[in-house]
Amino acid sequence: MRNTLLGVLVLIVIASPATAQQSGIPPKPLPSTADSAARTIADSIALMKEFEKITTAAKPAPAAISSAQGSTNPRMMPDFSAVGDLVGDLSPKRSTQADNSRFGVREVELSVQSVVDPYFRADFFLGINDSEKISIEQAFLTTTALPAGVQAKLGRFLMPLGKQNTTHRHDLHTVEYPYVLQRFLSDDGLKGTGVTTSMVMAPFGFYQELIVGVVDHFIDTPDGLTVDKPVNRNLDGLGYSARLRSYVDISQNANIELSASAMTGKVAQPLVASFTTADNVTASAVGARQSVIGMDFTYRWKPLQQGIYRSFILQAEVMRQLNERNPTLPALSPLFDPAPGFIRGYAGPTRDYTGGYVFARWQLSQRLYLGGRYDNVQDPMAAGATLTAGSAVLEWFPSDFSKLVASYERVNQGSATGLDRLLLQAVFSVGPHKPHPF
Amino acid sequence: MNVRQWIAVVGLVVPTVMQAQLKVVTSTTDLFDIASAVGGDKVKASHIGEGFQDPHFIEAKPSFVLQLRNADVWAFVGLELEIGWMPLLLDGARNPKIQLGGSGYVDVSKAMPVIDVPRGSVDRSMGDVHPLGNPHYWLDPENGRRIAKLFLAKFSELDPKNAAEYAANEKAFETKLGAAESAWQAQLATIKGKPVVAWHTSWNYFAEYTGMRIVAYMEPKPGVPPSPSHLLQVVQAVKASGAKVIIMEPFYDRKVADLVARQTGATVLILPPSVGGVPGITSYLQLMQHDVTELSTRVK
Repeated sequence: MRNTLLGVLVLIVIASPATAQQSGIPPKPLPSTADSAARTIADSIALMKEFEKITTAAKPAPAAISSAQGSTNPRMMPDFSAVGDLVGDLSPKRSTQADNSRFGVREVELSVQSVVDPYFRADFFLGINDSEKISIEQAFLTTTALPAGVQAKLGRFLMPLGKQNTTHRHDLHTVEYPYVLQRFLSDDGLKGTGVTTSMVMAPFGFYQELIVGVVDHFIDTPDGLTVDKPVNRNLDGLGYSARLRSYVDISQNANIELSASAMTGKVAQPLVASFTTADNVTASAVGARQSVIGMDFTYRWKPLQQGIYRSFILQAEVMRQLNERNPTLPALSPLFDPAPGFIRGYAGPTRDYTGGYVFARWQLSQRLYLGGRYDNVQDPMAAGATLTAGSAVLEWFPSDFSKLVASYERVNQGSATGLDRLLLQAVFSVGPHKPHPF
Repeated sequence: MNVRQWIAVVGLVVPTVMQAQLKVVTSTTDLFDIASAVGGDKVKASHIGEGFQDPHFIEAKPSFVLQLRNADVWAFVGLELEIGWMPLLLDGARNPKIQLGGSGYVDVSKAMPVIDVPRGSVDRSMGDVHPLGNPHYWLDPENGRRIAKLFLAKFSELDPKNAAEYAANEKAFETKLGAAESAWQAQLATIKGKPVVAWHTSWNYFAEYTGMRIVAYMEPKPGVPPSPSHLLQVVQAVKASGAKVIIMEPFYDRKVADLVARQTGATVLILPPSVGGVPGITSYLQLMQHDVTELSTRVK
């Protein structure tokens, strides 16, 4: 009975925070100084010898050391890791997954990461799932030795557009990306293939980072659409992006981040009816300019001493999608024989859309977090009908290498009856310890 | 302002610029304090983590990137203590001097005799185990000396013209540490062989130094929060060994330790593992003095 009581008490108190204590370290007093130049050199050499003696006398540390960019073994093998992302959909009416599954392996991500040479680091992420089989999620080279604090990234990567898009889907605090990202960018994060360059600066005394990039194209052409000519045939059809991050510490325990992003490029938009163009292409789509501009805000609170038990994040992001209304349509082929009622017209979006979300997450105990999100999007996939959703998320981290999530969501769109979604997620990884995302 | 005045101003400013201090950033307050003691006014030292903060779980804030981007020296504990945040900061800093292979990249663990190196295969079922060994080595004064000598060598290498001053500072540090150690020998004798409970493996070097005997850990495995069944085992271990003290860091939840204390009659002792861990502990010497004194008082 006594043991049972003890167990119950432990369960109750285990979720409570530690008491707070704070202290600072005063500046060091100035020490005594100087000797003659000759003695300096002699002493220095002697001391270097003494240090060498000490280090050789010390018990050898095992193998290699962990490093920022290095592998953790002396044979210079890259770091290999794998992440499993399982999703269960127990929504009462039906599965809300694209493949209608109730339980599925959403993705297995394999990664290989290593330093290439004194100038580059390489990161490869392969995604494996039932629908796409194997795909190159990300594969990029990062410079490590450019002057003036400039860093370039070449290859395929998550586009620095908005706050959450740069986070791998399995690392999100929610099961899925916010709806504004899903509708304006991509279900599983917008990736681009090209180059970005970034520079860290502090002209106003706080951290700022400017990232500019150019990639092969903005949004992937949807399956089933054939464009009259590649959207990136001309340079103005490539995807161009810019992001300015500003970060300020409010105190030791709290900070805010306010950033602005923009991306533009030509994307494939549907025609009213497909036809044969003067270039003898049967086109069902035309390239039209689309841009997304956005602002994001994050407030973080994490008391340093209680940081392993308590934290809070408030995040909000708003985006506006700007669409070209009247793109130039391709000319008809003189040989094209239109069916009765044929209209040579543009069926893409003829208005702009706005969307956003607010997300908050509170840490309940060392391993348990409770979050909630509210989404509001003018849905381009539903002619601008407003989609609203409210969700609650409970995250439990048994360790740094596994996560279990339960999520309830209520989605409303137009006059249709609301949809209740109950999602479960398990994420687990093997391989070297990765840095905690910030 | 006439020409002579301009010359005078330039004459004052130029030497100041030429005598630029080494910019040293350390991951912990302990390394910061020793680096400051050795570097004196020839270095400008700062630190990332605070002494009352769990060094495993520091956030990689962008403001730390600004601290690191102009650093001449980045000194860190190593042995994967900083693995959860250091890579992001070094990547963001874009400072070749403090990258692996750079002249200012100082993995302090390289100069340490490391304990608790796992033998055989290691996997995550063992908890947040450090596969390269226990990183909390600074809690042995002998390793404090090694850290000081390492800074002496590094600062002398990067700034040879001030090597003599660094040497004098390091010698002064050793002298003070030696005097302090002599003063607490009686307290060490009190501690030797006494059973204690520790929260985490961070006190293993301190145990080797003081001779205290760790009979149980509050964590069932490194980094894993105590479970009710494990706490029952801890209670049994405390009763069997007669341990009077449960040592824990200021950043852990003491309610769990209090619960064990109530069951066993032991007392919870909050010991700072780092400089600044509790108010008033502002130097490495004070840290060691405080921890030895507090422990010897409680285990009597």
